[in-house]
Amino acid sequence: MPAGTSRQDALYEEAANGFGAALSRLARAYEADADKRRDLSQEIHLALWRSFEKFDGRCSMRTWVYRVAHNVATSHIIRQRHAKMPAMVSLEELENLADKNAMKINSDQRQTLDRLMALIQSLKPLDRQVIVSYLEGLDAAAIGEITGISAGNVATKIYRIKGILARRFHEGGHCGE
Amino acid sequence: MVNELLQNDVRNIWQDQKVEAVQLSVQEIRQRAGHFAKQTGRRNLREYIGVVFAVLVFGFYILWFPNFTVRLGASLTIAGALYVAYQLHRRGSTRNLPENCGSESCLDFHRRELERQRDALRSIWSWYLGPLIPGPMVLIIGGGFAKRPPWHGRAWIGAVVSAVLFSLVFLAIARFNRIAARRLQRQIDDLEECSKAKVRDAW
Repeated sequence: MPAGTSRQDALYEEAANGFGAALSRLARAYEADADKRRDLSQEIHLALWRSFEKFDGRCSMRTWVYRVAHNVATSHIIRQRHAKMPAMVSLEELENLADKNAMKINSDQRQTLDRLMALIQSLKPLDRQVIVSYLEGLDAAAIGEITGISAGNVATKIYRIKGILARRFHEGGHCGE
Repeated sequence: MVNELLQNDVRNIWQDQKVEAVQLSVQEIRQRAGHFAKQTGRRNLREYIGVVFAVLVFGFYILWFPNFTVRLGASLTIAGALYVAYQLHRRGSTRNLPENCGSESCLDFHRRELERQRDALRSIWSWYLGPLIPGPMVLIIGGGFAKRPPWHGRAWIGAVVSAVLFSLVFLAIARFNRIAARRLQRQIDDLEECSKAKVRDAW
């Protein structure tokens, strides 16, 4: 086996072991249908393996993995645009949409997750990339490196995300129903 | 403080969710890559079969119909089909993701994908609709005239009506594509704004 190929395989295995669960969550943020989601996940893994042939270490493996995954998933959304897809909104638009039914976060995790997922899936790709990265625990600099938007812009978007989450979910016991 | 607790709770719920993990060994990945290449090959083959079918049918017209306009129409249809097939093949090959899509930020990748689609839609006259028009037009009008010359009334009127309807269908397709291209342009403009904000921040 050529050295390049074994390096590619080793990098893929390292990425799949380190980010496998995160990639599945990411696929869920982009595709609600279970069968299509499975296909998307496999497409992401395939693209990732292919991409490692060109991985030059100029960015971290984490940045590389998330870029490939988001780019594949964004492509998936663009391809599906002719299908019956609900209109996507930006964080700014979402911020202005009234949502009177704030949910108590500790009441039912399943329901909270479903609601969070619906919120994420309604967003335009760029904002979806930011919110998913934020939920994965990445900081503004890392999100900026992955998405290509400026640190200031990422900070603004995260501020908006926090506001939206605070309005739609609340801590049990802190706010009255 | 309350807000920070909430953010952590939401993040925990997100990260603790049960997901169906994709477990693919390198061997399976290689098999799938091979399968994907075969699928692409089959897609190309279907396109080639369609073109071969068109060439056979209209080639028959050229061989068996003595009328010059019918032969001309059939020749133009074959030429148009070959050109469109070449363009579909050329553009189809870029549907596959580039291997270096990890070195490109999501913003740049997304904008490039949208621009590629916008350009394809904007130029649809030159590479798809336009080449398919002359052949059928000559066949429709030439066929009508072949049955009866223009000075003999109704046959050619039917041919002209068919040609107008044919043109209207193509115009409608072009209009839908222009609307879709404008929609893509709005998305590209939004992404451009993000890029400009990045440059402003850098200064």
